[in-house]
Amino acid sequence: MNNPTSASTLSPWLQGMRDAMPLLGGYIPVAISFGLIATQANFSVWEATAISALIYAGASQFLMVAMLASGASTWLVVVMTLLINARHVVYAPNLTPLLPPGRRWIALMHGLTDQVFALAHNRLPQLPMATRQGWYSGAALLAWASWVLGTTLGAVAGASLTEQWPLLGEVMPFALPALFLVLIAPRFTSPLWFIVLGITIGTALLLAVLQFTNAAIPVAAAAGALAYYALMALNQKAGAEHGH
Amino acid sequence: MDTNRWLLILLCAAGTFLIRALPLVWTRRHLARRQNDTTNTLPTWLGLLGPLMIAAMFGVSLVPVRQDWVGVIATLAGCATTLLSWYRSRTLGKPVFLGVVVFGLVTYGLNHLH
Repeated sequence: MNNPTSASTLSPWLQGMRDAMPLLGGYIPVAISFGLIATQANFSVWEATAISALIYAGASQFLMVAMLASGASTWLVVVMTLLINARHVVYAPNLTPLLPPGRRWIALMHGLTDQVFALAHNRLPQLPMATRQGWYSGAALLAWASWVLGTTLGAVAGASLTEQWPLLGEVMPFALPALFLVLIAPRFTSPLWFIVLGITIGTALLLAVLQFTNAAIPVAAAAGALAYYALMALNQKAGAEHGH
Repeated sequence: MDTNRWLLILLCAAGTFLIRALPLVWTRRHLARRQNDTTNTLPTWLGLLGPLMIAAMFGVSLVPVRQDWVGVIATLAGCATTLLSWYRSRTLGKPVFLGVVVFGLVTYGLNHLH
């Protein structure tokens, strides 16, 4: 992918915010839905906002609210929430080689959602090392703020908003697949990657259609990794046989 | 204010933060140790997981809010537009914007035809 913003005169923070703008289309409608659902489940506006600000992990927040509303035990809710978020464990190790040193990165990891990881994984290698912390801070802050403010808006006025603009809630979330498509497109560099990425995308789509949304990302990535190693082994075997 | 509920929110928040932040600390230590071995790299499988996780997120996000033929056609049109625009411009914002616009127009148009 070309370097769309690094040549600009924007400060790294503003560059990060500009690059993170497409995330808003996906975040705000979902955050409004979360705020609405949380208040319908007898959470106060403050509680709904605090969940979004402090936990900041979409799917697990919906599950947490639903489980609490159904009277599940505290420990079960904690375990399930953390299990859903466990996939985040591989994000920081993938970014670490791209990050300049500094203690602030530990606090900044609070903003490392699926989407921010995808964006940072793609954009950080294109930026000078000195601007990377500013870029990440801007991108992560915009994404976090939109999620928190969207939740508050949903908790306060979600019902009337979704009644007034039903199409907006249908259309805006398409920004997320469009963004992921742009981020993954440069990876289709060889027949091997076509097959591996195709298997990963297909598996994730199938699992999501079958309502296994929470398991879909780690399971599909594991399927893709297995396919990668299987194809590499086949290639090596074919190469060795050809050599004989 | 329900104290138990707030405690639960704080526990989940702390756990989620640790899931995100601790691997950074571990990986930095791992890389610092490896610097002495002149192989300042991560395991191959870990590097592989990055693009695969993004591909999986794309697959999951492809399921439209509206799961009927209108949603499917609008998704295909939006993806084709995004991909074409990316291929021509190799930028981030414009392909996403155009994809959303086409997705919205197709959804709106098919809603009115229906």
